[in-house]
Amino acid sequence: MPEHRLIRQYNEALAAELPARLAEEVADGLAEAHAKYLLRGLGPDEAAQATVAEFGDPARVVAEFSRASPAKKVAGRLLATGPVVGPCWAMALITSRAWDWPVPAVAPALLGAMLAVTIAVLLTAAVARRYRVVKRAGAAGCVGLAVLDSSAITAAVAADPTLRWPIMLAVAASAVRLALVARALRPVLE
Amino acid sequence: MRAEQLKGHLDALLLAALEDGPKHGYAVMETLRESTGGRLDLPTGTIYPALHRLEAAGLIAGSWSVVGGRRRRGYALTADGERALSGRRADWRDFAAVIGAALAGRPCPSTA
Repeated sequence: MPEHRLIRQYNEALAAELPARLAEEVADGLAEAHAKYLLRGLGPDEAAQATVAEFGDPARVVAEFSRASPAKKVAGRLLATGPVVGPCWAMALITSRAWDWPVPAVAPALLGAMLAVTIAVLLTAAVARRYRVVKRAGAAGCVGLAVLDSSAITAAVAADPTLRWPIMLAVAASAVRLALVARALRPVLE
Repeated sequence: MRAEQLKGHLDALLLAALEDGPKHGYAVMETLRESTGGRLDLPTGTIYPALHRLEAAGLIAGSWSVVGGRRRRGYALTADGERALSGRRADWRDFAAVIGAALAGRPCPSTA
């Protein structure tokens, strides 16, 4: 039986916003519901209207999928690590007199700019309602934070090989966050 | 019963709907509708994201099959999901007993 126009429009609205596997799953449910209403004796148009009404506004379904997406959860967790990892690095850089490290003057500015962009991207993933925006921003935030943590660890170990405890603490905090990113990236990209 | 009133309880309801065997998303909704006498005013479309959330938490496991030429995702309770459902049931009994007693103006039955 061909798909009713209302149901096709509903499916198209979901397919425009969601990955194919998610849209396909809801499409199966819509087909089941339409068949149920037809069996109850409704005409094709009435059955399609009842089906669409039962499933609710497609924008709400997309928003709920976005809210449940791994990217949103990971973005929130990574943002929550900021107030822990950030002060660790601040203490490490101050106690190591990082301003005397032999690094190009542009490097701190670049890292600072990248940190600001990464935080903005993660905030976008945490608050956006569109699934694809959440997914892309979450993935970009994961990668950005991984690059930042790796760069900070490499720079600190190279510039201050004595590895005093503030540096060790900051390196450990970043390493834990890198592990979190590595574990989270696959579900975020699925 | 509106969606706002279900906040915090939807996960337990979904787990309970899967207790007697694997189901696809629409069958989960139909089970909920039957078990609540049709008093659940929840858009069916929002069941699917909730199922994905439970799957990501490891409480249910999803798998694809093909039925009538359509791909269908079915869900089954995991061992963690069964434990979570038991815990939620116990919590709900305690909650209902305490609130029920308070609203009825009688002492709360001891759980000790």
